[in-house]
Amino acid sequence: MHKTLQETLKLGWVVIGVLAVMTIAEFIVAIAIDDTVVLFTLLLIIALAKAWLIVQYFMHFGQLWDHVSELWDGIISNSPEADTEED
Amino acid sequence: MTQHVPQHVNHRFRSLDINRLGLWLFLVSDASFFIALLSSRFFVVGTSTPEHVDQVLGLGLTILLLLSSLTAYKAEAAFEHGDIPGAKKMLLATMGMGILFVFGVGYEWHEAFKHFPPSTGFGTVLFTLTGVHVTHVVTGVLTLGFVFFRIRNTTEIGDNQFAVEGAVKWWHFVDVAWVFIYPTLYLLK
Repeated sequence: MHKTLQETLKLGWVVIGVLAVMTIAEFIVAIAIDDTVVLFTLLLIIALAKAWLIVQYFMHFGQLWDHVSELWDGIISNSPEADTEED
Repeated sequence: MTQHVPQHVNHRFRSLDINRLGLWLFLVSDASFFIALLSSRFFVVGTSTPEHVDQVLGLGLTILLLLSSLTAYKAEAAFEHGDIPGAKKMLLATMGMGILFVFGVGYEWHEAFKHFPPSTGFGTVLFTLTGVHVTHVVTGVLTLGFVFFRIRNTTEIGDNQFAVEGAVKWWHFVDVAWVFIYPTLYLLK
């Protein structure tokens, strides 16, 4: 189901809000934590979460599988066996 | 012997799907380059970060790039829904923030030369990582400019869908790269 422009823009604001909160969180974490291993782990988790948000919601990674399946359907139905069946 | 080619074959391979898949494959290969560069930081200087690294500037650059991702997202959304003037406005805003980001990195380099020049370990890492990244930002701004130029007089989507989508995806990729560069260069200690 296609979203309206308003719904799409609203989603964008929600995602950027979460990203902003996570950015402030990683800044505070960097100031508050001195243990290198703990700090590295937390920063990595936050960075991965931020990257996932951008890739999933801004870059529409989920739609990639639709494109791949479209292409795959084209390849399958273009095989000689499929042509014979259709002919 | 003439080979029988059914009429429907050409329609099955939709060029838009091929373009999208190709772009994703390219982004994955480019991401591996950034991963290699990011890992070099730990081999060259470990996790230590000099005191003179400008935390406020780093945070400012991060916020700027995140905001530019929102305007790029809005540009794509507006274009897909047929709001071409709205898309053009958002593309211009994204390009403006991209140019500001380049100036910000320029200022960072100006300061970095004083405290950790490229001959030092951290300087090597900082100039390499930010240099490669800012090159991506510049190509992103140029690509968005090309797309803006292409749609400047159009009133409908036409065959510009992938141009907008591809340029915006490239911009988001630049943002994703910075999401990892920022803590690697500025926040570790």
